[in-house]
Amino acid sequence: MSVQATSVVPVQAPEAGSRNGSLARQRNAVAGYAFLAPFLLFYGVFLLYPFALGLWMSLHDWEIVGDYREYIGFLNYVELWDDPYFWDALKRTLQFAAMTAPAATLLGLVLALALQKPLRIYAALRAVFFASNIFSVTVVTLVWAMVLNPDRGLIANGLRAVGLQPIAFLADKDWAMPALMVTSLWWTAGLPMALFLAGLQQIPPEVYEAARLDKASRWAVLRHITLPALARTTLLVVVLQTVMHLQVFGQPLLMTRGGPANSTRPLVQLIYETSFRDWRSGYASAVSTVLFVLMFGVALLQFRLSRQEGE
Amino acid sequence: MADVLLRDVRKQYGSQAVIHGVSLELRHREFIVFVGPSGCGKSTLLRMIAGLEEVSGGEISIGGRRVNDTPAGDRGIAMVFQNYALYPHMTAAGNMAFGLRNIGTPRAEIEERVASAAKTLQIEHLLNRRPSQMSGGQRQRIAIGRAIVRRPDVFLFDEPLSNLDAALRVQMRVELVQLHQRLEATSIYVTHDQVEAMTMADRIVVFRDGRIEQVGTPLEVYRSPANTFVAGFMGAPKMNLLQARVVAVSPGVVEVALPGGRAVLPAEGRTLAADAPVTFGVRPEHVRPTSGEGVFRGHARAIERLGRETLLHVVGADGATLIATDTGDSTVRLGDTVSLAIEPGQGRLFGADGMALPPAAASAA
Amino acid sequence: MNRTLTDRLILALVVAAAFVWMMPMLWVLTLSLKPNEELVRSTNGIIPWPRTLEHFATLLRVSLTPRWLLNSVVVAVGMTAATLLLSSLAGYAFARIDFPGRRAVFLLVMAGLMVPEQAILVPLHAMFADWELHNTYFSLIAPRLAGPMGVFLMTQFFKAVPRELEEAAELDNAGRFKIFWSVMLPLSRPALTTLGIFTFLFAWNDFLWPVVTATQPEMYTLSVGLGSLQGNFAMSEGLGFLMASAVFASAPMLLLYVVFQRYIVQGIAITGGK
Repeated sequence: MSVQATSVVPVQAPEAGSRNGSLARQRNAVAGYAFLAPFLLFYGVFLLYPFALGLWMSLHDWEIVGDYREYIGFLNYVELWDDPYFWDALKRTLQFAAMTAPAATLLGLVLALALQKPLRIYAALRAVFFASNIFSVTVVTLVWAMVLNPDRGLIANGLRAVGLQPIAFLADKDWAMPALMVTSLWWTAGLPMALFLAGLQQIPPEVYEAARLDKASRWAVLRHITLPALARTTLLVVVLQTVMHLQVFGQPLLMTRGGPANSTRPLVQLIYETSFRDWRSGYASAVSTVLFVLMFGVALLQFRLSRQEGE
Repeated sequence: MADVLLRDVRKQYGSQAVIHGVSLELRHREFIVFVGPSGCGKSTLLRMIAGLEEVSGGEISIGGRRVNDTPAGDRGIAMVFQNYALYPHMTAAGNMAFGLRNIGTPRAEIEERVASAAKTLQIEHLLNRRPSQMSGGQRQRIAIGRAIVRRPDVFLFDEPLSNLDAALRVQMRVELVQLHQRLEATSIYVTHDQVEAMTMADRIVVFRDGRIEQVGTPLEVYRSPANTFVAGFMGAPKMNLLQARVVAVSPGVVEVALPGGRAVLPAEGRTLAADAPVTFGVRPEHVRPTSGEGVFRGHARAIERLGRETLLHVVGADGATLIATDTGDSTVRLGDTVSLAIEPGQGRLFGADGMALPPAAASAA
Repeated sequence: MNRTLTDRLILALVVAAAFVWMMPMLWVLTLSLKPNEELVRSTNGIIPWPRTLEHFATLLRVSLTPRWLLNSVVVAVGMTAATLLLSSLAGYAFARIDFPGRRAVFLLVMAGLMVPEQAILVPLHAMFADWELHNTYFSLIAPRLAGPMGVFLMTQFFKAVPRELEEAAELDNAGRFKIFWSVMLPLSRPALTTLGIFTFLFAWNDFLWPVVTATQPEMYTLSVGLGSLQGNFAMSEGLGFLMASAVFASAPMLLLYVVFQRYIVQGIAITGGK
């Protein structure tokens, strides 16, 4: 029996073979954009448009409430150049990222190397170190503000127990920044660890077996096999961590409010306060643009480096 | 009735042509094997017949109906893929029923068709399993079952046995042919394995570089390869090909000079000038060691003992190699000097263009 | 023997480090279980004795925390469901439909990965203010659906599905949407799980945008609400309550983490934590 007896198409001229092609192409175009439409709608409205709007706003004196908006060209950027708060915040942000990112990378690498075995105990330990990563920034800051509290904090208790004076970490100009870094490390170190573990898994076991036959010492294996194999992962981790820590916001906002004496206020907090406390959205957008350029630069650097390595 | 007709079928990717105008007529219930080295276009052509690749030019018709613009599902074909392509999240029964459900077949009929296909393929005990719970051979049966329940006019097989181990492959070869004989359908089977082609086909189509090199029954292709490519591709071990020169041509007979002697062959060589270069092809089973004065002398460089017989690779003074067949208990040892004789009348001549000379019988008729 | 000795030494070190690592959480858990009278005296020790659930009772009875929990659940579930749908639809199109302009559109979408949320924070706020849509579930969810990471993930996943599977379905008379829905989606369960958990986690912990758009306490998520408590409560009087809030807010995530640890770690490894 013939299934398609009902759907016989009239025979076309033989050279019409390509009609199928253009028809299929049309159908693909419709289907493709139909599948994409829902996402593209959100992407356009909530990412592309606000991104462009942000650039536009940065060229205006634009107040968050009311309708006051005046085109002022690059005046916001000029003002930025002369704004000590901006330079301060930029410096803090760079400082924070430049110290936290390498530290997190190193910590992640050490943890991954120590915990890479497939045994249960190692799996449990990996879970512990990763667990702090799943808390929200508000939980983390709450916990650490308490831990670092000079009167009743965990560390203060410990210091007192051995007869030392407790330190007001978050209220001390010299201690506040390191305290925020430790908090951030505790919060995020599981991430580089996971990335390094994934990188370690991709090293073929035969290489290690060959090294064992070659009587390579543990140190030699680490130095000549493991670390070189992790080069790409390391680059990725450093970039991701840098980009991530350039965006630091919740920790200073909730733990130090940027203080003491603005010594921990990063760029994002500056954006937040300029826009939502001082109502100067145009100026805040200019700061946002600077942050974007900064992060874009880091990512671009990574792209260049990984390309070079690929060649 | 489902003849498959290809008329000047072409395929192009951009400016690159991969099928250069193939014309072919497949008869109803025929088992056709497309064979050729990888990249020769055989799979592409199969996928064009299936409707998975667009046809750049020419015409494909199935059962007298032009199908160039017909969607794959409506062509009355079913296909078995190399890696089975079973839906991993469905049971075997679900895999077989999916297509029937999509065209709104009544539930009772689906069940009946699945059951009967399962019985034919002896896979009733697998129906509730998922592909991940089956062996490769079992998966292949489900894939075939999925094709059968559609009751297609044409079965398309794309290297379906290449992922199976050797023993299973031999068994499935036989089963597939038996299945084909039971079903009212035409089968097109793509493979790069010339043993599959020889053992399964009613007719073989040999492809190279997007062109048909030869169409014929397995024996025709084996005994009378149309050119040096087919001669070298079909048969294991392949046909010996030696450079030779024409010595004399008389009606229906050509005499050629080989490195170590002469051979007289029945062929129509009127177009050949004396001393013209030709290629002389002869199957290893027609070349044997001889104690007398052979047509080829050399030393044995490799010896393959197959038990029933022994293959000798003999290298002549000029570097040419000839593979010969000896008895299973051959006493030839590596390095021995061997004289080879060719069975009288066996062998085939190819002109300078690689094409076979017409056989004598044909020109005499 | 040398190897195993070193191994044991390393293990001992890491176990000690893990204990220190867990200390803050254990201590906070302890504090949340201690009665107020005890807390006034001392915050020492990580064994909760005497213990009490009074802080958790207060939390549920008098605070807005239950409402915030509801908000967090609505936002996280809504964002996850919508992300899965949008990402798989778009990912399928990019991976498997050969439509004109595919490359260009894909690049345009992936360029979005370079735009940090801070860069669009201020204009987004202005947009929602214009529409008068701040303090709604829509404002909490919608901007987060524009992120291209899910699309990228699903595109990669669908690209790896053998093409023959789709061709088999095509021969089985399945149309585009049928292939997507009945073949590709069920196949992508592992990827969808990873993406789903990941989105859920992100939504639950989201802070910067929610703190900007949710200004009425009734529309806070747990994360934002907890942040507001930190400012409002003096550490001394509400200590147990505050710690109970922290435990309460993280408990669902910890549970999720215990159950789906594999997917979470895997998701982080794939997406690089974004």
